[in-house]
Amino acid sequence: MALPALWMAAIVYACELTILSIGFTLTYLTAKIPNFAYGTMSGIGIYSVYMASRIFKVSPYYGFPVGTLLGGVFSVLVYLLIVKVLASMGGGAIVLTIATLAIQIFLQAALYIYAYWVRSIWKLYTIGFLLKTRDFVFLETPGILYVSLITSILVIVGLHYMLNKTKIGIAMRATTESIELASILGINTDRIQLYSWFITGCLAGLAGSMVPMWFMSSPLTASGMQTSVMAGSLIGGFTNMYGAIIGGFSIGFLEIILTYYLQMIFGAWVGEYRPIIPMAVLVIILLVEPQGLQGLYHRFMATKTGEGILKSLGRGE
Amino acid sequence: MLDLIGNLAAVSGNARLIVDIAMYFGLFVIIAMSINFQYGNAGVPNMGCAVQVIVGGFTVSAITTRLCFWIVKQAGVELLPYASDFDWVYNNQINVSVLTNAYLKENPMLCFTLMLFTLALALILGSLIGWVIAVPAIRLRATYLMVTLITMADASQIIGRNVPWISGGTLGMFVPNVFAFYPGDRTVIMAVITLFIGLVSFFIFRTMLNSPYGRLMRSIRENEITVGSVGKNVVSIRRNILMFASGITAISGSLLAFYFSFVVEANYQRAMWTYWPWLMLIMGGPGNNAGTFLGTTLIVALRRIIIVYKWVFDKFFFFPIAYFERLLLGILLLIVMIFRPNGLIPEKLLYIPGINYRQLVREEVPVDWRAAPKASSKGGGGFMSRLRGKEES
Repeated sequence: MALPALWMAAIVYACELTILSIGFTLTYLTAKIPNFAYGTMSGIGIYSVYMASRIFKVSPYYGFPVGTLLGGVFSVLVYLLIVKVLASMGGGAIVLTIATLAIQIFLQAALYIYAYWVRSIWKLYTIGFLLKTRDFVFLETPGILYVSLITSILVIVGLHYMLNKTKIGIAMRATTESIELASILGINTDRIQLYSWFITGCLAGLAGSMVPMWFMSSPLTASGMQTSVMAGSLIGGFTNMYGAIIGGFSIGFLEIILTYYLQMIFGAWVGEYRPIIPMAVLVIILLVEPQGLQGLYHRFMATKTGEGILKSLGRGE
Repeated sequence: MLDLIGNLAAVSGNARLIVDIAMYFGLFVIIAMSINFQYGNAGVPNMGCAVQVIVGGFTVSAITTRLCFWIVKQAGVELLPYASDFDWVYNNQINVSVLTNAYLKENPMLCFTLMLFTLALALILGSLIGWVIAVPAIRLRATYLMVTLITMADASQIIGRNVPWISGGTLGMFVPNVFAFYPGDRTVIMAVITLFIGLVSFFIFRTMLNSPYGRLMRSIRENEITVGSVGKNVVSIRRNILMFASGITAISGSLLAFYFSFVVEANYQRAMWTYWPWLMLIMGGPGNNAGTFLGTTLIVALRRIIIVYKWVFDKFFFFPIAYFERLLLGILLLIVMIFRPNGLIPEKLLYIPGINYRQLVREEVPVDWRAAPKASSKGGGGFMSRLRGKEES
């Protein structure tokens, strides 16, 4: 009952993109900037899994928590050393966005240098590797399928619980609405920002850890996912976590399944144009509905049918 | 530089480095000035300069080369077939380097015409692509514009890689040498021309910035809502700025293609043509051209020296020097943004030629303060109450 490799790849990739899109949206909510370094931050996860598997010779899954934590630590450092400093100096959205681009360039180069360092010491292939063979097999299916599905569901449920039920989560939502008002109510917005950067970094590291279990990985893989992540987040409207879940999953699925079937129809040359799919989605959404699913939802709920549905759910005015 | 023009032998050694730095300075100063025009003066964050540069390159490979082949064929030179994609790439080297360049060598006027035609075409196509890439996001927030423009650069490279009739796909292709008649080294005269075009575009940008339109641009940067409220169409002004600057950026792509006499999409990477010019701009200080010149000079000299003396650095590092360069780019950008947020040369107040500022300051404005209306001492006393008082009396 083994799943075809195509669907495996689609599901694993969609799970990764879901987690990344949630994180990207959370950063956009708290810092009000698109974090261009976000895709590259998952490279930290990729290389911690690599280290666990190839250098320490243990199951690659030991690298997951390490990658998650390292991603969080890096994200906190980025916030404390750069974003907070620039924001306190009065840097606007554009300046902060350029700063994240600079971080992306820096981090990608650092990952490459790290890969070359590992290569020069342990004499291993570090650029372009695959850890498929080190995965466990359960019911004739590679373990990463279960791990990725369960992890992404856990992340979604956990974040939902945290944002709606815990004190920190509610404070976080208040901070995303308005920093000034939240601080008037006695919320330490600085610390809340720190927490949210930590969480987003953790999510990036976690999503990155899953990549080498099924896909060929190099430092470029991580930054290559950036466009897809942004497209997934944009489908959800950039400011809605639940929209980002749908967006990330659909973009991941679309990218692999659509490329495959287009290749079946038109020939192998379509495969080269795969990175264009998220770009096309991005452009189409910006042209049609810049608010994404959230805008569609608001528009639908403003119609008569929408109002009727809301009333039947007991939420109407 | 001037000695090198007269020198007809092939350029080598340190002279080569000087020519290289001059050429890249010319190219990057054009791009950095156009970013300065867009971001420093109008607040349009054009993160897609690589798209416009690549369009300039493709203009040379896809249009000028075909036109040149057609002209040469009309003149009676037997060219190898170049109609199909395969022939276009496979016969390209003989068609260009042997047959076309030999004909161009005897027709200097044709060379000049071709070059000017290419530059004009690059200007038009660059503006067109500026309009196209502005469509999705120019109405939205600036960050949306950045998101789309950054992704476009990759898209253009993918298209260039996979459509052979544009620039020969991954193999790249040779383009006609428009200085075939010049007996010395082509690169020297190319560098001179690039510097000259850089100078011309500097004057064009300066004139634009000092015109009423330039002041309008600055006002959009400061507060677009205010500008919109006095009846200016902010979106169309932003689009015009993006289109104009895109055209000028595309020229530098064509110049690069002529410099190498070769076009391949890998020469037009996003990092090279977007991030480095942005570093130059931010380092020098956005909003003034002097800062742009300083930033470009520093960064170009640094980079070319690193690249030329790569073999020295490679002895010390265990990784390719290219990644060290990227690391340097990221760190420099962050350091400059944190420690010199206004750049090395901060922006100065706009100076408009033709207006005597000294006289304006010195001139005493005849105001008789005793005649000016006094604020009423009874409560309120604002502007409105004064108006009302006048109405009553």
